Amino acid sequence: MTGAVSATKRRSDPSFLAGAAITVTFIALAFASLVWTPYDVAALDIGAQFSAPSPSHWFGTNHLGRDVLSMIMVGAQTSIAVAFLAVGIGLAVGVPLGLCAAASGGFADEALMRSGDLIFAFPAIILAILITAIFGATATNAIIAIGVFNIPVFARLSRGAALPLWTAGYVMAARTVGKNRFEISVEHIFPNLAHLLIVQATIQFSLAILAEAGLAYVGLGAQPPTPSWGRMLAESQTMVSFAPWLVLFPGLAIFVFVLGLNLLGDGLRHRLDPRRERGH
Amino acid sequence: MAGRATTVIALSLRGVVAFVAWLCIVAAAGIALSPANAAGALNVGLQLEPPNLDPTSGAAAAIDDIVYANVFEGLTRITEDGNVAPALATRWTISADGRIYEFKLRRNVRFHDGSDFGADDVVFTFDRARSATSTNAQRPIFERIETVTAVNPFTVRITLKEPLGAFPIYLGWGDAVIVAQNSAASNATHPIGTGPFKFQRWRKGASVTLVRNENYWGARAHLDQINFIFIPDPTAAFAALMAGDVDGFPNYPAAENLALIERDQRFQIVFGAGEGEMLVAINNAKAPFNDIRIRRALNYAIDKQAVIDAGLFGYGTPLGSHFSPHHPAYIDLSNRYAYAPVQARRVLTDAGFADGFTTTLTLPPPAYARRGGEIIAAQLEAVGIDVTIRNLEWAQWLEQVFSNKAYDLTIVSHTEPLDIDIYARDDYYFQYNNENFNHLIAELRKTSDEAQRNQLYGEAQRILADDAVNIWLASSPKIAVWSKDVSGVWAHAPLQANDFTKADIANRAPVLAAGEAKPALPAFTILFVLAAAAAIAVIYFSRASPAFLASRLAGMAATLAAASVVIFLLIEVAPGDPAAYMMGLNADPASIAALKAELGLNQPAYIRYFTWIGGLMTGDFGVSYTYRVPVADLIAERFWVSLPLAMLAFVISTAIGIPAGVMAAARRGRPGGRAIITAAQAGVAVPNFWLAILLVLIFAVGIRWFSAGGFPGWDAGLLPGLKALFLPSIALALPQAAILTQIMRTSMLDVMDNDYVRTARAKGLSQTQVLRRHALRNALIPVLTILGLQFGFLLAGSIIVENVFYLPGLGRLVFQSIVQRDLIVVKSIVIVLVFAVIATAFFIDLAYGIVDPRLRRRGAS
Repeated sequence: MTGAVSATKRRSDPSFLAGAAITVTFIALAFASLVWTPYDVAALDIGAQFSAPSPSHWFGTNHLGRDVLSMIMVGAQTSIAVAFLAVGIGLAVGVPLGLCAAASGGFADEALMRSGDLIFAFPAIILAILITAIFGATATNAIIAIGVFNIPVFARLSRGAALPLWTAGYVMAARTVGKNRFEISVEHIFPNLAHLLIVQATIQFSLAILAEAGLAYVGLGAQPPTPSWGRMLAESQTMVSFAPWLVLFPGLAIFVFVLGLNLLGDGLRHRLDPRRERGH
Repeated sequence: MAGRATTVIALSLRGVVAFVAWLCIVAAAGIALSPANAAGALNVGLQLEPPNLDPTSGAAAAIDDIVYANVFEGLTRITEDGNVAPALATRWTISADGRIYEFKLRRNVRFHDGSDFGADDVVFTFDRARSATSTNAQRPIFERIETVTAVNPFTVRITLKEPLGAFPIYLGWGDAVIVAQNSAASNATHPIGTGPFKFQRWRKGASVTLVRNENYWGARAHLDQINFIFIPDPTAAFAALMAGDVDGFPNYPAAENLALIERDQRFQIVFGAGEGEMLVAINNAKAPFNDIRIRRALNYAIDKQAVIDAGLFGYGTPLGSHFSPHHPAYIDLSNRYAYAPVQARRVLTDAGFADGFTTTLTLPPPAYARRGGEIIAAQLEAVGIDVTIRNLEWAQWLEQVFSNKAYDLTIVSHTEPLDIDIYARDDYYFQYNNENFNHLIAELRKTSDEAQRNQLYGEAQRILADDAVNIWLASSPKIAVWSKDVSGVWAHAPLQANDFTKADIANRAPVLAAGEAKPALPAFTILFVLAAAAAIAVIYFSRASPAFLASRLAGMAATLAAASVVIFLLIEVAPGDPAAYMMGLNADPASIAALKAELGLNQPAYIRYFTWIGGLMTGDFGVSYTYRVPVADLIAERFWVSLPLAMLAFVISTAIGIPAGVMAAARRGRPGGRAIITAAQAGVAVPNFWLAILLVLIFAVGIRWFSAGGFPGWDAGLLPGLKALFLPSIALALPQAAILTQIMRTSMLDVMDNDYVRTARAKGLSQTQVLRRHALRNALIPVLTILGLQFGFLLAGSIIVENVFYLPGLGRLVFQSIVQRDLIVVKSIVIVLVFAVIATAFFIDLAYGIVDPRLRRRGAS
């Protein structure tokens, strides 16, 4: 890939733009729902139960007469908050671990990477279900369960990317002027990893959205009355034969948001990590 | 070059064509071989699978759902209209003081194993039920027996410690069925009774099959066979009904679909009197609920009709006290606290809670509780009470709410008939205590005159309503849905049971010859031998150095050891007592303690850990708490569903993902390539459970090509088995195929940028030749790792998809075991899965050596 080709692509990358637009829209919806939703998601309106999509209820209503669009907006909050914190755990714990492993090498490196393997050896979904089932089904436990699996992802990524940097000229230079390993990790290594981490975080974010939906679907995510997409699907599954909008829209919300995040992640990779860039 | 042949074949276009052809054949075969409903056999859908099949040692209502009156009989029985009738006793006399009962037994009755029924069986049954080690859930009733003696081979005399008016009724309950001494111990897994149907087979997680008892003492049953099929998920229940997988549900779990079913000519809906009283239980001992004004305010705040409309979809009668509207003693008190939020606020203000208060509403899993809970919460919020909802699994609910009374409010349905006396119990979870009420119940126990009893019952209902002990919401009917072909089933449910003695089904087809359960062990052995052979082959061909092998094996062992500790520690802190779960709502604490001792739950943690590990080493995984069968058998049985499912999904995902990835790379930047990328990106974003729901909706409910779920078992034939796994494997495979496509494409592009590929191109080879000879093999190396990871994921990760399709696989077993607190099963399955993942990674590592000879020299690392 030559620089010139990349430059033209940068200006007109429709899937990146679509991804960014979708992501921004969902985040905006989530924030908007903090102050305004078309209807109150807590209020009951049994008289209006199972209204089909219409100008007054764009996405219809559920068995309690609650507005599906409003619930999806508030559900976006739940999804985003859980995914954001879960990826945050992965970054906050995984990156320092990875950097330490790369900086120190030897036994510490081996120990850290082996414990990463240990986590990878667990079937992720089953452990997440175990954690939430044991410690209680709450959004917090869902965050922890998903977050745990993000730690080795970021630890491996940052270790793998940091190792070659330790032989780079500017790191050598920093060593000769007497900087210790910690200072070098923070000042020289980490900034050179940032772009990789941003790309990976976007991907992990989309995976976390899917994981949260899955946990909520089996009843182990955020608890009612807090709306969540996965639970909306689970609750309305039995009504799909006469109220298909109840299953269609929450599913579409998950699908479109995750798709948007993936497109965004790919686009970011093009921009931030040209070496790995693979043209479309 | 050992690898060339395989890779080229796997990736050639011919492979793709062959695969598509295979898909078509499977689909066509599936359509052609739609399962002939094994009739003469009745397929009955049940929501709950019982933990075991012995009604005298467990309280789970799901046991009686299957075996009561069908397999087991008592001295007396409860009829459909709720009366007591003779069963194994033809008649009985009661002494003047009401303490001595003499039962004349039916002659010429045989147990299913051929042994004769007689007085000694009755004596054995009741002595066992009241013994110190009894795990009978109704042990307190049997403890009222002073002596039980055989007067002659067909006469039994029972002397009670004090008169008990309802004794013949109790003897008609499932807990009092007669069992034989030589078969009592194995009744949990292989019940032997005297009833019109014999137990044939239990496929754990899937179904229980009963066949007609040709030697029954009474009228011969019409049905040749009954298959009870367990479908926990209401959606799956609807789908199974629509797809014809079941002939009906005695308790249909998704009332919201009834309107739709009513319009369908194939079905009949039968509403019967149910005994369920759905209520909001209030912790009467806990402030502020110890104040009667607060409890009354709560009662005023709830609009029962709204709860019925949205929570029960209109199918329910409002209640005002703890009594079934179908009983002659019922008094309608449903307007004692008519819905009046303003009044509720006023009462709250009077009680000093003008600003309301905060409270927690704890909800068990059933849909009525979860749906009702949201409405109750919203209505309480409306009068200023701040409600937090807490959803619990049954095991946790039983421990926290029922046993420890650590709750404020909860919603539950009490399904036991005539159970108003629970309000007189000392330590019951309502924590209600009213001396007048207790006297009334004591009076009732002694009274046998019908009119007098009914009057006392009426008084009891009024006291409870006045005290606003709970918020009684609704009595829900028993809603059964049956195919129009089915007749002779119970409409009403005076107790939780489904008597199929007189049931029949029209349009019979011959019964499929269902073989006995094939022993699980050979299957496991075959698998083990195959795995070992594969391992040896891989190790041989990889030519890995012994040092490398040794270090990797040591690593594997260390990881497994660490994993076992992590799993055990996690499970140790799990709240929820397995014994309490198994014994159910009305169990006696002493019975629970007895069961705990029997399960070995009293030993210290470290002993249990080493027992477990020691067992694993020798292939002994222990015995499941709930199913009472060896865990190894359970896992082996489920493995034969999960493994083929994972393999099918793996084949589909690989067959789609690798060619698609290669094509996307070859057509880089062109429309074809872009289309593949877009499709892959969409595929990655689809949640597999959503895909599963949509597939069921389209292919099972809509065009009915495939059944909505379930698994017929491999002994029903290869094609029916594959057909049952087809939709689930598609739901599992498509998102994985999308991931694989992306990775394969990236890997191909990496390789294609290399000099040797350019050289090959320059020397005049065609694009296809270059891809095949040079790019593919090298591009496959990184993909191998992903394939290994994916296989592990598919094996373990099918948990949600297995639930949608109610497949009896490992995923569903582990989920169900977590919920039921069958922790010995949970920890063993998780360690097996961890082992599978680690072993896969190990072999992938070795496989590198086959694909890439450069890596063989890694011994030194």
